[in-house]
Amino acid sequence: MFQYLARRMLLGVITLLLITFVVYGLVRNMPGNPLTAQMGEDPSRKVNPEDEERMRKIYGLDKPWPQAYLIWMGNLARGDMGRSFTRKQPVTTLIAERIGPTLMLSVSSLLLTYLLSIPLGLLSSVRSGRWDERATSTALYMLYSLPSFVAALFLQIALAVKLGWLPLFGMLSDNYAELSTMGKIWDVFLHSLMPIACETYASLAYYSRFVKSNLEEVVRQDYIRTARAKGVGPTRVMVHHALRNTLIPLVTLLGLTLPALLSGAVILEQIFTWPGMGRLLFESIRERDYPTIMGLTLMFSMLTLAGQLLADFLYSLVDPRVTYS
Amino acid sequence: MNDLAPPLAVETRHSRPRGFWAEAWLRYRRGKLATAALAFVVLMALVALFAPAIAGTKPVVCNYKGRLYFPALGYFNSRWENPIFAQDKFRRIYPNNLRDKDPQSWALWPLVYQDPYRRVRADEWPGRPENPSGDQGFPNRYNWFGTTQAGVDVLAQMVHGTTIALLVGFVSMGIAALIGIVVGAAAGYFGGWVDMILSRCIELVMCIPPLVLILALLAILEKPTIWHMMAVLGCTGWTSIARLARGEFLKLRESEFVMAARALGATHTRIMFRHVLPNSLAPLLVPITFGIAGAILTESGLSFLGFGSPPPNPSWGTLLNAGRSNLNLWWLVFFPGTAIFLTVLTYNLIGEGLQEATDPRLRGGKH
Repeated sequence: MFQYLARRMLLGVITLLLITFVVYGLVRNMPGNPLTAQMGEDPSRKVNPEDEERMRKIYGLDKPWPQAYLIWMGNLARGDMGRSFTRKQPVTTLIAERIGPTLMLSVSSLLLTYLLSIPLGLLSSVRSGRWDERATSTALYMLYSLPSFVAALFLQIALAVKLGWLPLFGMLSDNYAELSTMGKIWDVFLHSLMPIACETYASLAYYSRFVKSNLEEVVRQDYIRTARAKGVGPTRVMVHHALRNTLIPLVTLLGLTLPALLSGAVILEQIFTWPGMGRLLFESIRERDYPTIMGLTLMFSMLTLAGQLLADFLYSLVDPRVTYS
Repeated sequence: MNDLAPPLAVETRHSRPRGFWAEAWLRYRRGKLATAALAFVVLMALVALFAPAIAGTKPVVCNYKGRLYFPALGYFNSRWENPIFAQDKFRRIYPNNLRDKDPQSWALWPLVYQDPYRRVRADEWPGRPENPSGDQGFPNRYNWFGTTQAGVDVLAQMVHGTTIALLVGFVSMGIAALIGIVVGAAAGYFGGWVDMILSRCIELVMCIPPLVLILALLAILEKPTIWHMMAVLGCTGWTSIARLARGEFLKLRESEFVMAARALGATHTRIMFRHVLPNSLAPLLVPITFGIAGAILTESGLSFLGFGSPPPNPSWGTLLNAGRSNLNLWWLVFFPGTAIFLTVLTYNLIGEGLQEATDPRLRGGKH
């Protein structure tokens, strides 16, 4: 087990080095740099050549990118992710600021998904073929195919523009500072409803179909027939014998959703102007803010690798048939 | 021997087993929804192919100064529009110019006189008023799906955007399938250090945040057209296909027919692509179909965020983007949004139908 883990870790580190190298090269070769991207085309805000040269030196843009990559790696080894060019803040501070709002959306959506999808999947496999199962399955399948940005726009038009029940975008109202504590919580809650709904519905469809198809496979196993033959009631067979074994692949799925938890939904955060990680990534690419892009890339790829490892590890934990030794 | 041969031949002709693909097609046809989805894709292909004849302001065929021209082809490629119309100062407005400059001329017009790139003005077409602009472009009897703020007809844009939606799916997934199958095949078939290196490559591309990769590649291209976008989507979306292909090849390379082929002296490439690939194609088709849906989603998502190919570009995502800036214009969101939804749904249904038709584990059903 230890050897396996060590080998995976080593491979992971090599992959990470390669990823950061490739992304650094790509990012530095994008046309424009933080200076031009910030100033835009406005001639009145043009920097004079000497200032630009000076700033290029400060930002380390005068060096060729492989050398700059080595410097970045060196700083990283000392725990320094660098400072954002455009926001004049350390990248770690920026990420720490943005991680909360993203987690708020992704964790509540994940919890909702699990809470709803397991009963839904269970119900649809128990009532398989009846009209109510067909209706829910069709609805879920439609939702699964509905792009989240389209759904977000539909919701915005219906709930915010036409009915005016929910705020259109953002996380806080303008008068947030004047609100009482309960009012503040309520305010954030109202703002988060639409993004959470959009993040939840697609994965809900996916997960409940996943639960259902796994259940259908498990129900054909011999031990289910044995349990039935021994006179166990249908509910108990479903919940105690079948559902438990369905949870195995579900646990693996949890490992694979780890990166998505933190990376946030870029398009959704953009639509709802939610101050999270996805929006930060989007903005940093647009602003050519190299240190922030690199910091985020590093974090996301680390999480992806860790998620894969976690999935394999959890799998061996919940399923004694699987070992890695 | 001679006595036995004829009856055997007769018997094989009668009970000749259907090939794998014929069998799969029969199974696929049994799924009503999947068949309907396939029909929808064919319909979309027809709309894309005949887009200039459905909505446009250029005649499909016209007789001008004694010769036949096909100006509507200009919608596919501006060079296919005969330069004579530019020389004669048509300024892209055909009906009146044709009549004025050659009274003998005749023309066959598209079904709907609306342009996907510009606003139709008053007096261009008898009985058709100027397209409304601003926030007055409600769906009406002249503009069934409404108009954008600039007064461009939404229906015309969507009809012409069908080409993009179809092409994005097929071209980008074609590229992705090609890369994925070649990489996965090499990794699975050769194994050893080749597999080690290629698997790391797959992992590398998989772990880079896709948006960073796509946006960086698009930015490096500076002026990305829709074709660049397809290439970029293809070059980033091959990993899952490669992983699956690797698994299939890993499994099949030990089988008897590969050994037989090897004994006959077939080259590696021949074994890989003539013997193993046809046997592993069916499971690969499923992620490719889902990938088409994914590519369409990504393209419309990127166009929606304003990272698509630059205007004039009638992509459905671009329309959504226009709708986002003013949510009161609900028709800019509703129609293209529904179109994207239907397309994605279609490909998902096809993928599922394929899975049911070709996966032997799903056959037979319950026991």
